[in-house]
Amino acid sequence: MLQDILQIIVSGASIGATYGLVGLGVVFLWLTISRINFANISSAMLGAYLFYSFYTQLNLGFFISFVLSIAVIALYGLGLRAFIYEPIRKRGGGRLEFVVATLMLCTFWLNLIIVTYGALPKPFPPVFGGSQDFISLGGIRIPTLYLNIYLVIGILMVFIYFLLNKTLIGKSFRAAAQNREAAALMGIDVKVTTSLSFILATCVVGIAGILLAPIYFVSLELGGGSIGVKGFASAVLGGLTNPYGTILGGISLGLLENFSTLYISSTYRDIISFSVLVAVLILKPSGIFNWKSKKI
Amino acid sequence: MKKLILIVGAILLIILFPLFTNNMYHLYLMNRALIHSILATGLVFLTGFAGQISLGQAGFYAIGAYTSAYFTVRLGLPISIGVIAGVVLSVVAGFLLSIPSFKLKAFFLSLVTIAFGQIVWMLVINLTPITGGPYGFFGIPFYSVGNNMLSYGQVFWLFGGILLVSVFIMYRIKHSHFGRAMLAMNDDDVATETCGISTKKLKIAAFGFSAGLAGLAGALYAHLAGFLSPEPFTFFESSNFVAMAVVGGLRHMSGGVVGGIGLTLLPEFLRFGGWENYYLMVTSLIVIVIIIFVPMGLGPILENLFRKVFKLKRSNTKTL
Repeated sequence: MLQDILQIIVSGASIGATYGLVGLGVVFLWLTISRINFANISSAMLGAYLFYSFYTQLNLGFFISFVLSIAVIALYGLGLRAFIYEPIRKRGGGRLEFVVATLMLCTFWLNLIIVTYGALPKPFPPVFGGSQDFISLGGIRIPTLYLNIYLVIGILMVFIYFLLNKTLIGKSFRAAAQNREAAALMGIDVKVTTSLSFILATCVVGIAGILLAPIYFVSLELGGGSIGVKGFASAVLGGLTNPYGTILGGISLGLLENFSTLYISSTYRDIISFSVLVAVLILKPSGIFNWKSKKI
Repeated sequence: MKKLILIVGAILLIILFPLFTNNMYHLYLMNRALIHSILATGLVFLTGFAGQISLGQAGFYAIGAYTSAYFTVRLGLPISIGVIAGVVLSVVAGFLLSIPSFKLKAFFLSLVTIAFGQIVWMLVINLTPITGGPYGFFGIPFYSVGNNMLSYGQVFWLFGGILLVSVFIMYRIKHSHFGRAMLAMNDDDVATETCGISTKKLKIAAFGFSAGLAGLAGALYAHLAGFLSPEPFTFFESSNFVAMAVVGGLRHMSGGVVGGIGLTLLPEFLRFGGWENYYLMVTSLIVIVIIIFVPMGLGPILENLFRKVFKLKRSNTKTL
């Protein structure tokens, strides 16, 4: 029994951590421009499909495919800023216009993928370990896939920590996030930090897409399923401004999901997690992992 | 006077349209367009006038559709009672959904509405005994008077009448004490509250009204299509409805009608124009372009166009 529970904790936390990564995309944009990109999850789908085409169709090898697909996703982030965010802002469109534009962008990417790759899910190459590979640890089986997810997320968190806290560009990003006008007066180029936030947002979600692909296959599920909403939910649990809180929020969401599958029913799993999201929003809109909302 | 001409023009358009075409598909499509217009009108009311975003409108649509289907098929009641039950139930759901809006704004509220839409969708898929689940709900009766089935043209008149009535009600609300308070709340709800106006009541009313229209649209759709599957009730449909309201123009009476008809017909035009595979892609791109370049929506532009045309004619008759 205890083993089962530990097993569920391991798998729930790993999938939840990727939800957290999807949520990070929301957090980075919210910090700098206080907008929500509802096409956030499309970056995950694009990441998975790009990696799939580079790796299996062009045979470029793991490292090159990974870097190339993330580079393309970064360019997409810049394009998002140049072609969607800036024109709407210039013509006086408010938040709602941005919301609808990004919602439509989500439909656009889904249909583009359907047209180019077809609607059938594609098997993901076993680059993170096959479905049968696992490590036994005191009776608990940890699939290598989950170990790799932890590894990538660990590296990413360290990278983000150093980028935001130890480099000049990270400091200017944090300054602009706290107060745009004051930062601009201090000589910080707000355009650069806005671009950085778009790139960070899309890249992190793209990586999450590549990590989620072995679980959900390279499928439209990644771009239109409930994963996107779970990403928003983990961002909200973390208070929308705290990257580390967001990862924690994602992990707790994953745990909640797996435990409700075990103890209640798998059909009502998503209903339970969405109800928790609504309850948190109503009872504590500033998030439950928001110990330090000012600092990131 | 100008308004009278516009209203008479709209009524004439609705009366004459079915006489022009005998193509069943075109008529069916126009009926869908009217249903979407009813729903988008409610959304214009909620978002444009009262300032509350809802991305879960497909949830109310589903509640209306499945309630009416359940009442008519499983309980054997007449269509009119089924439709009324659908509207009542979605209004109740709207009242419930307005509770989070007392505390939450903008993005947080839209998240709650997304969660609501998703929960309804999951219920539709998983409550197989009531909704038929993924297999669908079959055998929903079509509109009829006595023993005579109505034709698509007559249904078009019925829907057109309902749309006109709902736009008229909305017009009256907008120009009442209540509507002005709502517009004030849209601009600044704290200031409205300090003027002694209960924003809670306004929000409850706005959510209830727009949910009622969405439920009405859903019930009408259920009897028009004859069967229900979970597909028209996904999150993507909700976002489509919001797109209709925004493309039509959020702050204009005609916004819902223009957006509803436009965004229902545009994909079909593209589909028959030889774009079978790409029409949804192109539609979403066109919507993005419209939002970027005409953030006020197409409704006011068309209104101005009409006004100019009518003014020209009237001034001509005067000089003559």
